[in-house]
Amino acid sequence: MLEGILTGLSTAASPINLLMVAVGCFVGTFIGMLPGLGPISAIALMIPITYGFDPATGLILMAGVYYGAIFGGSTSSILINAPGVAGTVATAFDGYPLARKGMAGKALAIAAYSSFSGGTIAAVFLLIAAPSLAVVSLAFQSTDYFALMVLGLTAVAAFAGRGNVVKALLMTVLGLMLSTVGTDQTQGVQRFTLGMIDLIDGVSFLLLAMATFALSEALMSVLRPKSDADRARELEAQKNLGSMKVDKEEIKEMVPVIGRSSVLGFFIGVLPGAGATIASFLAYGMEQRLAGPKKGALFGQGSVRGLAAPETANNAACSGSFVPLLTLGIPGSGTTAIMLGALISYGIQPGPRLFVDNPSVFWAVIISMYLGNVILLILNLPLIPYIARILAIPSPMLLGFILGGMMEENLRRALIINDDSWSFLWERPLTFSILLIAALTLIVPIIAPVVGRALAKRREAAGEGG
Amino acid sequence: MLTRDRIGALLLLAFSIFYGVRTLYIPLLPFQAEAAFTARSMPWALSVLGVVLSLALLVRRGTGARVETSGFQWRRAALLCALMVAYGLTVRPAGFLISTSLFLIGGFVILGERRIWLILAASIPIVVFFWVLMTQFLGVFIEPWPEFLKG
Repeated sequence: MLEGILTGLSTAASPINLLMVAVGCFVGTFIGMLPGLGPISAIALMIPITYGFDPATGLILMAGVYYGAIFGGSTSSILINAPGVAGTVATAFDGYPLARKGMAGKALAIAAYSSFSGGTIAAVFLLIAAPSLAVVSLAFQSTDYFALMVLGLTAVAAFAGRGNVVKALLMTVLGLMLSTVGTDQTQGVQRFTLGMIDLIDGVSFLLLAMATFALSEALMSVLRPKSDADRARELEAQKNLGSMKVDKEEIKEMVPVIGRSSVLGFFIGVLPGAGATIASFLAYGMEQRLAGPKKGALFGQGSVRGLAAPETANNAACSGSFVPLLTLGIPGSGTTAIMLGALISYGIQPGPRLFVDNPSVFWAVIISMYLGNVILLILNLPLIPYIARILAIPSPMLLGFILGGMMEENLRRALIINDDSWSFLWERPLTFSILLIAALTLIVPIIAPVVGRALAKRREAAGEGG
Repeated sequence: MLTRDRIGALLLLAFSIFYGVRTLYIPLLPFQAEAAFTARSMPWALSVLGVVLSLALLVRRGTGARVETSGFQWRRAALLCALMVAYGLTVRPAGFLISTSLFLIGGFVILGERRIWLILAASIPIVVFFWVLMTQFLGVFIEPWPEFLKG
């Protein structure tokens, strides 16, 4: 393994590859910042450029674009509440409120540190555990994926906070409904297209994201124009945007969050199909739970934890998604699926033989992840004051929309494998366990306050009695 | 009492019912009639869930937040929405450059800008820059000219 690492280091550290990491990160950050152009489109745009390159160089460039786009996506999430990438939707939950409070600089700095830490920690995992982790992800079947997606969706109840569970669930259902518009993937029949040609391919994610985030924001500002006092306040807030200092207290709060979210993000990223989006939502939900009622209530209003968790997890998941790609030849996300196509066009077949046949490609990509993370941090921290000048609670609807198609497909596949029997839901231990966790995620926020009140009453009664 | 939550719940209830009715129009292949899962299964389950959840929201004792509409500039917002629809309808026949420039100019006028030089300077160069960026540097083709000018 040491020999492989050294080979990778010498390949990745060659001047042309170093340049490619830097160029990839820069271009990726820029494209990711444009709402609507995510890592998939960014990498797709790179494919024609990389044709003439050496395979390792081409892959390093694309990997750099990938991290850059995820980071750039978080920038537009924080500053204008318009995530260009599904993986950074959760970043807007707390990043945007922080920016509105005049702490955009700090929010971007927290995002940069979290992304760097998440990416770097996950790259260490990738280095150590790549081969054995591939076995774990192989054990996942479509039934388990279905359960995992149910868990991802019920986790929105955790984001919603007290009194909003029903509303959040209703929005998730609306997102799922919208995801069914268009041609059915398995049977090829049209659903809810109302005879319109434009709806045959379904509703685009970009359109929905723009409609729910950017358009509502724009219309509200037209409907309710700001008074002079508001304008003055905003101007005052903009002066403070540049402050990027993260104080000791906040760092203390961030460190454990980054540790947990890195591990969670990496493992979610390893599962084929479950990429940065699910990882960021799950990390956000998990941290809100762990934060306790007092700090948990701050989530959605500019919580440091709430920003660090999804930012760490989405970058960790990016690294994680390379595990099945490099070791099994199965892409872990839409983005790595495009990379798979690029690898095949280079004449390289990713899979267990990649270690043996092309060790320099395998290790160079892993080593370039460290370099990419360092470059992103160096690149982004000084740029923050400039980016910050660019300057609604995001809805669970988008998560439902993103997961809807995948969920239906996995459920259908599971039913075909099980001969049209639903018994896999309770007979397969892994599926059952994940569904159980999903049910608990949904029930606990409803029951916990009731139990809490009952306990408090009893304690009060006991106190009076004693 | 008609609160904000209840209005939302009513709208979503109507949508869920419409969605459920439209589910019946999804064509099924003959051999799938008896299958456990068809193209109608998930939409049907979703419409039932939608109806149940919106009813739950409707009957629940909500926050009581009323819809605030005082001081809203309805006319301006409606004009902007109409402009957006017009842009959507004209972008293909009129081409990107002309329709987007007109959209931005119209938008600035509706929002109250009256300085012509500023309106022109803030619309046409941006549209051209964006078009060059997309087509020349990012390789995304956008039809620049009206349909009748195409070769």
